[in-house]
Amino acid sequence: MENPRLKAAVHYTVGCLCEEVASDKEMQFSKQTIAAISEVTFQQCENFAKDLEMFARHAKRSTINTEDVKLLARRSNSLLKYITEKNEDIAQFNLERKAKKKKKLEDENKNSVEPAEAGVVESEN
Amino acid sequence: MEEIGAGFRKELVSKLLHLHFKDDKTKVSGDALQLMAELLKIFVVEAAIRSVRQAQAEDLAQVGVEQLEKVLPQLLLDF
Repeated sequence: MENPRLKAAVHYTVGCLCEEVASDKEMQFSKQTIAAISEVTFQQCENFAKDLEMFARHAKRSTINTEDVKLLARRSNSLLKYITEKNEDIAQFNLERKAKKKKKLEDENKNSVEPAEAGVVESEN
Repeated sequence: MEEIGAGFRKELVSKLLHLHFKDDKTKVSGDALQLMAELLKIFVVEAAIRSVRQAQAEDLAQVGVEQLEKVLPQLLLDF
């Protein structure tokens, strides 16, 4: 994906986020401001990416993991705390999803032997 | 502020990061991508909210680039 399309994708997400802030705070953003935030975000990704790559390499890994991301967030205590909590949420969520999938697979295996009951619809929140 | 609905898609985050990697072998774990999406979201929301506070302090009806420029230095220092 070339830069212009990537930038456009970033711009779209930034626009959505600014819209949510705008309606929550009852304050409008000028188009130029949204474009400027988008540009800064795009540029900041370069710093993030290079740092992450270096952190992983420093730990003699080629795969960047969540510890590297947490290192990125070290400059502000409240940011680090937020990211650490989010990391735990993500880990917990993925754990539960795996458990659900595993159980679903086990149930399906059971049903292939017995006649299938009415399927339980999995509700995704 | 209530939970924010919008966010960066994992695929987009992955492409944004890979754009700047020096080594072809560098990869990003799924969890790290999700966490980076959160980090980027916070970055944007912080930029937005701090700009709003600046505009409110200046008694403005709209957030302009001048307000963003004032809050940008501290934002970049915090990240």
